[in-house]
Amino acid sequence: MIQLNGVSKIYSEESIGLRDINLHIDAGEFVSIVGQSGTGKSTLVKILIAEEKPTKGQIIIGDWDITNISPVDIPFLRRQIGVIFQDFKLLPKKTVYENVAFALEVAGETSDRIHKVVPQVLDIVGLSDKFHRYPLQLSGGEQQRVAIARSLVHRPKIMIADEPTGNLDSINTVEIIEILKKINEFGTTVLLATHNREIVNSLRRRVLSLRGGEISSDEREGKYRL
Amino acid sequence: MTAFWRLLKFAFQDLGRNLGLSFMTVLILVLMLLSVNVLWSVDVVTKEAVKLVKNQINVSLYFKAEALDKEVTDVKKYLALFPEVTDLQLLSREEVLKSFVERHKLSEEVLTGLTELGDNPFGPTLVVKTREPEDYKKVMSALDVPEYENLIETKSFEGHEEGIEKIQNITNRVERLGFGLSVLFAIISFLIIFNTVRVAIYTHRIEISIKRLVGASSWFIRGPYVVESVIFTILSIGITGGLIYLALRWLDPYIQIVFPNSFSLTNYYNSHIFFLFGLQALAVLLLTIASSFLAMRRQLKA
Repeated sequence: MIQLNGVSKIYSEESIGLRDINLHIDAGEFVSIVGQSGTGKSTLVKILIAEEKPTKGQIIIGDWDITNISPVDIPFLRRQIGVIFQDFKLLPKKTVYENVAFALEVAGETSDRIHKVVPQVLDIVGLSDKFHRYPLQLSGGEQQRVAIARSLVHRPKIMIADEPTGNLDSINTVEIIEILKKINEFGTTVLLATHNREIVNSLRRRVLSLRGGEISSDEREGKYRL
Repeated sequence: MTAFWRLLKFAFQDLGRNLGLSFMTVLILVLMLLSVNVLWSVDVVTKEAVKLVKNQINVSLYFKAEALDKEVTDVKKYLALFPEVTDLQLLSREEVLKSFVERHKLSEEVLTGLTELGDNPFGPTLVVKTREPEDYKKVMSALDVPEYENLIETKSFEGHEEGIEKIQNITNRVERLGFGLSVLFAIISFLIIFNTVRVAIYTHRIEISIKRLVGASSWFIRGPYVVESVIFTILSIGITGGLIYLALRWLDPYIQIVFPNSFSLTNYYNSHIFFLFGLQALAVLLLTIASSFLAMRRQLKA
């Protein structure tokens, strides 16, 4: 599903994001990517969604070599990968419904399909009663659920979560992780970049540790270790 | 078609939900357009005033009393060949005498002197008008040949030469100043519009990056801003037009007092309305679209 061959991201001699990463992730896996701040977790996420290009190496997602993806193709890649971030990245001037619908509108989906799918995904994340609220009228946990709903509308094969619980309290953290687990149970590959030890240890799934831009350990049923 | 309607929807949504920013953008565009129109009006009035002054300048050729009609007509025909000459008016000996008597009807001494002379002492007069005051010199020097010099008693140009040159200098300076101001205003207008749009785009930079992240194409992001540019242009041109016509209703009576030829700015605007506002609308539209494209370039790279 995801294949990285010798991928490096070098900003300058002093600033190296990733160094010679070789990685294979199968379809349906739940992989936690751990490491201290500045170890390359976010760089890895950015490279997977083509927000940044690697300095060298090769990246294959599904059957698609995205190493030198053209700017025109980037939107198509992003419509196939669900992404959620620590700061939610919701459009502040759009309602909950509009934020989720927007992801379908940009892909050219019909209005009928949008009217059908958006309420369904908002129901899955438990926000069916907050369609007309604006992001700032929601709690952090609710905002993250909107972001998850938005990333789900395309039924992506891959879901990438970059520190999704970083701004949430413990109750909301548990809820978001439960939703991610459920998404994974339906067959979606989930990549969770985090430095929350408790979450990683409770998951009992594959753990990839990064240190100084390199993979320091890769365990099938690992625990959080740096 | 669906994509087009969605772009329209997003544009109107964005305008409505950012009312403050939309209001400020339209306000700045209106102020800029008002400045341009004020400058334009000043330029039109100045040109009209210069034209008026230039129209009042003419040169008269006073022929000797013994000059034959054919000889005078030959001179008239010769001058008519000059492209610089716009008007030639020939006054016969009788008309010159009548005009002289009319001018001096209150001066009994002059009229008595004229009666004593018996015969009409005046020759015909040819009144010459040229396109530009500077052209008189060329036309007059063309008459400095012996065959014409013997016919012409005097030319009023000799006395007016200095005055004509002064007027020419002043009008040239006024025209150059008007052109310079226009260029300056054009540059200022461009900078104002560019910065206004840049500020508007800058406040949207986070939204633009989010739209990119959820897979929006560049055109889907740019589209609403293009539609907004069109809306801003229509609004600002409409408001400016309304304000200009209101101001003209108040201003025109004063202008008509100054210009005896019934010149009116309202008439000028009416007869040039499509050109004036069409040109301004096109300029604002191109500037706003170009500015938003330039300002968005960086955001769309990510």
